[in-house]
Order: sequence, then structure tokens, then C-alpha cells
Amino acid sequence: MMCCKECLDLLYDYLEGNLDPQIHSSLTEHLQDCPPCVAFINTYKSTTRICRETLKNAEMPEVVQIKLREFLKSAKRTV
Amino acid sequence: MRTMSFTEPKESKEIEESLVRELQAGNADAFEKIAELYQKKIYALSFNLTRNTMDAQDVTQDVLLTLFRKINTFQGKSAFSSWVYRITLNATYMKLRSRKKELTVSIEELLPSFNGGGFQQEKIQDWSENTESLMFTNETREIIQKAVDQLPEKEKVVFLLRDVEGLSTEKVGEILDLTVPAVKSRLHRARLFLRKKLSNFFEEYSREEKKK
Repeated sequence: MMCCKECLDLLYDYLEGNLDPQIHSSLTEHLQDCPPCVAFINTYKSTTRICRETLKNAEMPEVVQIKLREFLKSAKRTV
Repeated sequence: MRTMSFTEPKESKEIEESLVRELQAGNADAFEKIAELYQKKIYALSFNLTRNTMDAQDVTQDVLLTLFRKINTFQGKSAFSSWVYRITLNATYMKLRSRKKELTVSIEELLPSFNGGGFQQEKIQDWSENTESLMFTNETREIIQKAVDQLPEKEKVVFLLRDVEGLSTEKVGEILDLTVPAVKSRLHRARLFLRKKLSNFFEEYSREEKKK
């Protein structure tokens, strides 16, 4: 049976769907019996998602938009 | 006007290529259009790296000017957007140089502890269910931003381009001049690092909730 360390070493390729079918199925088998690994994988996936959702919102403040518009206008005149 | 996604297919690529040709021919209107298409992306990436509005604004202006001034050095060997990203990263790193710190974290510190047989020894809390309700609180956002800020630079830039911007692994490799396995390995370390940092926060939160 696959151990936790082997399971977590394969985590990246597992989530990308890059594992050989045989290895994939022994990993799935391990997960059926191992709540700590399931918790680890769930929180790993969740981490990616919540970080993306938070940082995706790095919007340009209105004041910066105005400054950039002015900058572009003057840059355009000189180019 | 909508912002061009760097990952969009054919149609956008053709628009982009024709704008680049016009810009190379000295058309100032093309400069404005390119600026409109890319400025928000440039700003967001720079802001996520510097976490400073003024720095990100300076970088955006520098990058736009560089795009215009150096457009004739763009040879089309890589995608135009990859070139824009590289210029953005260079300009951002110039800003960060004074406060840049290189940290390295071993992967063992980011994984659970295993016994001799390779099985986990500690109890891992699954806090993934709790994130929905917490996602939009200011405290959670701050914790997430702080965790990303603490990432070593090499891992941070890969994480921002791949997971936040949503670029393909291959494209990130092209921008950073890294092999695909190197991109994957840095991304994995970044995710493990962030998971560890966020675990401290969410586990504490779950404990507090249980007490109530």
C-alpha cells in the first residue's frame, strides 16, 4: 500500500491529472483510507483557490487610472 | 474597454500582432491601444509583487514607455505578452531591489511529519470547508496577502503568473526562462508554503469557533 509520504510527493501530478493510471488508482485507494491525506489535499486545493480569488482583485485605484490617462496623453504627444 | 486576457486564443493574438506591427511603424494610436489593453495586467502583477500603489503606478508607466521605446527590439521570437511580462518583472524587481530578501524554505518544513514507514503522524485539520464564509472578511484578505508577501521571490512570481494570472505552465517557463519541471516544482513549493501559512490561521479560527 502506498504510504502518506509517497501520496503527497505525487500530489502535484495527481491534481494535474498526469499520473499513470496504475499509480493514480493506488493513490485513490490510499485516500479512501486516509483522512489526514484527504485533509491535506483539500486544504492544498483550497489554498490555491482562495489566494487566486483574493489577489485577482488587485484592481487599479481610480486615482491611478486618472494619473495614467494623463501620462498616456503626454507620452503620446512626445512619441 | 475590456482588458485583454493574456491567455486568450487566436482572435486576440491577431489583434495583438497587428497592433505591434502598427506600433513598430510608429503609429501613436497603437501605443494608446496597447496601453489600454495591458495596463491593468501590468499594474496588478506589479502591485501583487510590491504591495504598494505608488510603486505599481511607477512600474506601469515605466513599462508602457519601454514598450513604446523598445518596440523595435521586439523580434517576435516569443509572444508579445511574454515580452510585456518580462519587462514588467524587470521593472518591478528594480523597484524591489533595495528591499529584496532571498529566503529559502525546505520542502520538508512544508509537509506534515511522517513516521519511519512514511505515514503521517500528526492530525491534520481540514479547514477547506470553512473558507467560504471567511473569504471576504478583511482579516482573511490581509492574512492571505501577508502569506503571499512572505513567499520567496522565485516561488512568488511563478505562483502569481500561473495560479493568479492563470497562464499555462509552458508560458510561465517562456517568460521566466525556466524549464517546465522547474516551473512545476516552484509552483508546488509556493502552494505548500501558502497552505502552511494559511493553516495556522484557519486552524486557529476553527478552534475559536468550536469554543463558542
